[in-house]
Amino acid sequence: MLELDQVCLSYQSRRQSFDHGSHHVLNRVSLQVYEGETLGIIGRNGVGKTTMLRLMAGILAPTSGSVRQHPGKSSALLTIGLGFRPDLSGRDNAMLAAMLQGATARQARSYLEEIKAFSELGDSFEERVKTYSAGMLARLGFTTALMTHVDVLLIDEVLSVGDTRFREKAQKAMIERITGDQTVVFVSHMEGQVRDICSRAVCIDAGSIVADGEPEAVLKTYRDLC
Amino acid sequence: MSFVQYLRLADTMARMSLRAEASRYFLGYIWWILEPMLWVAVFYVVFEVLLQAGRADFLVFLMCGKLAFIWFSKSVNQAANSIVMNRGLVGRINVTKTLFPLAVVQEGLYRQAAVFLLLFCVLFAWGYTPSLAWFYVVPVIVVNYLMIVACAYIGACLVCLVRDFSMIISLGMTFLLFTSGIFWDVRHLPDPALTELVLAVNPLAFILDAYRQVLMFHTPPAWMHLLWVGCGAVALLLLMVVVMRRNSQYLALKALS
Repeated sequence: MLELDQVCLSYQSRRQSFDHGSHHVLNRVSLQVYEGETLGIIGRNGVGKTTMLRLMAGILAPTSGSVRQHPGKSSALLTIGLGFRPDLSGRDNAMLAAMLQGATARQARSYLEEIKAFSELGDSFEERVKTYSAGMLARLGFTTALMTHVDVLLIDEVLSVGDTRFREKAQKAMIERITGDQTVVFVSHMEGQVRDICSRAVCIDAGSIVADGEPEAVLKTYRDLC
Repeated sequence: MSFVQYLRLADTMARMSLRAEASRYFLGYIWWILEPMLWVAVFYVVFEVLLQAGRADFLVFLMCGKLAFIWFSKSVNQAANSIVMNRGLVGRINVTKTLFPLAVVQEGLYRQAAVFLLLFCVLFAWGYTPSLAWFYVVPVIVVNYLMIVACAYIGACLVCLVRDFSMIISLGMTFLLFTSGIFWDVRHLPDPALTELVLAVNPLAFILDAYRQVLMFHTPPAWMHLLWVGCGAVALLLLMVVVMRRNSQYLALKALS
């Protein structure tokens, strides 16, 4: 479905740090994502998890190596918080998010009441996003992300924030979504979620894959690294 | 995403930004008119009251030039920073990067529609009778818009690659403010050859002069010159669309890193 072959990603840092200003994020990463599986990616902060999802979504191109996607298959990166415009209302942000994901203005408008109801934001849906708490942002982020319909869902931490009750509701909605043919790549810090949701997991450290296989065995490697 | 969908998205982004901007200020949408008029007032006080420009029609002359210049400079300045400012979205969605500067230009277009309406009212109030010749202003506005889009794309690309260009573009606008004949008449330079040179090398000076020729003197613009400027803007615009499409992922990396 999706294949990363010897992928490296580095960029020039403006400050002359790291390797003479060159910052290596991923180093010769090879990974295959199979149709219908739910793959969990775990690793400490800053090891390249989000970058890997961005490569899979086609947002970034590898410095070397290749990212191959099955022809005709679509993928989308779902992430929270980042990307919301703080001076716009929740409604406007949801509308914009839907249109950016390819919906027409009419389709986007038809999603809005559903988003308002699921996110349980009530009147705050009409307020500017800069007045939102982290939990409210998480609700809006997850709910706008949930309506995307693509072959490969790339999920970046969308289930990691918010209060316990909403997190459980979100996790339940996500599990309903991923049962069936949906292929999912899922980044999380929460071991329980990786264990419950994923059929396979990989652990990344220092830009390379250090473990790949059954979630329980991979989680053990992750715990040893922490 | 289809082309129509892309245009609708840019337009939606522009309208939402305008609404958000208006809600931030007590005077809201009035600032669309008030800000350019305050600029005109500042220039009028300096050049007419203090330095005594000596033209009976200086206010209208100034407004024709300054209001069109503000449209250009503000749109290009803001669009230049648009990809970097939207890096949250850039890091989340693989969308063509021309979307962000285009949305900013669209915002400027809505504001400018109100400003042009005010300009026409002032011209009428000052005794410049509307005539069919005023329709010559339509191609001038179209070419001006194309110039703005082309420069916005170039600026957005450059700032994405090296942030310092943001300062350089801002400084460049001040340079154009002084060299495009906003508070002085490009047709009244001591040497006619110099007038020709300024109009030939600075398309903005030509466009500002064309606004005055049409609105104040009912004279059509130099059509061939306008056509060349328009074609140049379209060529640059198309080139930038191709460059930005081909290097979309590289621009995303530069905006994020």
